[in-house]
Amino acid sequence: MSTDDGPAAQADGDGVDLADGVDHQVAMVMDLNKCIGCQTCTVACKSLWTEGGGRDYMYWNNVETKPGKGYPRDWEDSGGGWKDAEHTERKPGDIPEQADYGDAWSFNHEEVMYNGGDQPLRPDSDPEWGPNWDEDQGAGEYPNSYYFYLPRICNHCTHPSCVEACPRKAIYKREEDGIVLIDQERCRGYRYCVEGCPYKKVYYNATQKTSEKCIFCYPRIEGEGPDGETFAPACAEDCPPQLRLVGFLDDEQGPIHKLVEEYEVALPLHPEYQTQPNVYYIPPFAPPQHSEDGETVDVDRIPRNYLEELFGERVHDALDTIEKERDKVNRGGDSELLDMLTDTNPARKYRLEVFDDE
Amino acid sequence: MSERRAAAVGAVVVVALLLAAAVAGPTAVSARPANEIPVQSVAADEQPQRPTSETWDTVPSVSVPLTSAPSGVPNASDTSVESVRVQSAQTDERLYLRLSWADGTADRNASSPRAFLDAAAVQVPVNTSVRPPISMGSTRNLVNVWYWSADGETEELLAGGPGSTTEFDQAAVETTARYDDGRWTVVMSRPLDSDAANRTSFAVDNNVDVAFAVWNGSEMERSGRKSVSEWYYFPFGPGPQGPPYESILWAVAGLAIVGVALVTIEAVRKN
Repeated sequence: MSTDDGPAAQADGDGVDLADGVDHQVAMVMDLNKCIGCQTCTVACKSLWTEGGGRDYMYWNNVETKPGKGYPRDWEDSGGGWKDAEHTERKPGDIPEQADYGDAWSFNHEEVMYNGGDQPLRPDSDPEWGPNWDEDQGAGEYPNSYYFYLPRICNHCTHPSCVEACPRKAIYKREEDGIVLIDQERCRGYRYCVEGCPYKKVYYNATQKTSEKCIFCYPRIEGEGPDGETFAPACAEDCPPQLRLVGFLDDEQGPIHKLVEEYEVALPLHPEYQTQPNVYYIPPFAPPQHSEDGETVDVDRIPRNYLEELFGERVHDALDTIEKERDKVNRGGDSELLDMLTDTNPARKYRLEVFDDE
Repeated sequence: MSERRAAAVGAVVVVALLLAAAVAGPTAVSARPANEIPVQSVAADEQPQRPTSETWDTVPSVSVPLTSAPSGVPNASDTSVESVRVQSAQTDERLYLRLSWADGTADRNASSPRAFLDAAAVQVPVNTSVRPPISMGSTRNLVNVWYWSADGETEELLAGGPGSTTEFDQAAVETTARYDDGRWTVVMSRPLDSDAANRTSFAVDNNVDVAFAVWNGSEMERSGRKSVSEWYYFPFGPGPQGPPYESILWAVAGLAIVGVALVTIEAVRKN
């Protein structure tokens, strides 16, 4: 629906598909062209929410190299989600093995740092897999190898199959902003949500005997901190290249609505899972392929069909739209789209108080 | 005359014998009515809370068949435990239930994402005069659930339908479990009386319904994926214990036999 002249006008103001019973829907757009794989988001999340107490192996936010097996290993083959867009029948799913997540390793810090040992720093165990294990491996052959980074959190889906999977209604979609939360009092650790989530973003805590997940840093967006200020989720605020936009999908003045609903350049990961994620990605561009003698050739380095596997067939239009807008700017023109994608103003990147007066 | 008198006496004797047989018949043929869990009085100092206490050798055992519970959870019909042996005893103060079932692996911890605990549960109605729906009662007809899991925890739960279990603040149920030679044996006990809100009292003059469930952790059984019994009952009521049709059938059979005998005797006398 994008055109050379910018977004098509919305006929009425209410074109956003929100979940039943939800007033507004939080959303995030991640620009994969900016991700440098530094894992600062991962560490920000971990140090805030998942240190100790049975959470060591959990990464509510992780960054994985694509193509790659990801975290947990081969999560894309683990089932879950819905059979079709009717959202009446779920696909069966599996609970990953502990080995597919990897354990929280302990290291020989004591010997290396304090006891003067000359052995290298290494895990005490002999691990065979863990988060980010296949970092930077990617695919393709020199000189046309390729990879990119994919940061992942819970998608706070509009049709969350994890919610439907719970026989106790312990997991629910919050009315005010559509954040998907697990009521820790109701949860009995059955893990139907773990197997039901096709993104494998719900984790079992064997110490608490409940399942846990990304909470979209709701205390931060509610301004529950000591200074009473509203903050975006830690993964977004702490990102060095500031690749994440945070706000509400139904905030029509915000960049998320425009990127998702108007320009249609921000796309959900694996739309075929039919859960309708509310985390969206600007698909990655890479330099074109090279010939053996180093000449640039007009072939996509990251195969389009691979991007289509991840983001669905709309990825073609999205990439074409961005390319057109870039050409426009290169010719000296203006582009609202590229202005949004290169904006550095936090007040415009994080719009979390727009509905506070309701 | 004397012949007739002798015949009459004979007839009376035959009738009496037949009546006695009709009355004694049910007891001789089936030791107890179907679905009864007899509760035997035992002494507290015989330590019935111990699964290996010798007092359990004196308590009758009921083999309770189990089937997959009807449930919407995935693979609900895929369950592995087919029966549980149930015994029940009481002291002046407490009610004891001893459950024993075969399970090839003792799954005592759920320390990894795919690990689940072996578990067993006992369900009784809050209001013992009305039989609740078997699947964890209903909002108007609550049940108590005593839930033991193989990590050693026992929870006392209140439920009003599937997915509604809520833990009591303080469990009144105590459990001792033992795994030996491929079998779990679990003894649960609770004070007979209770005046706490929504906690079943066994100090009643009516039969009390009871149902059982077992989960095999290594088969990933949990939640609605479980082996369950139909309703059984503790015979706390005044009797007759057992379904009324059983006594009626025996009475009809007895009367029929007596009738045939009388007709036969009369015929012999006329000859």
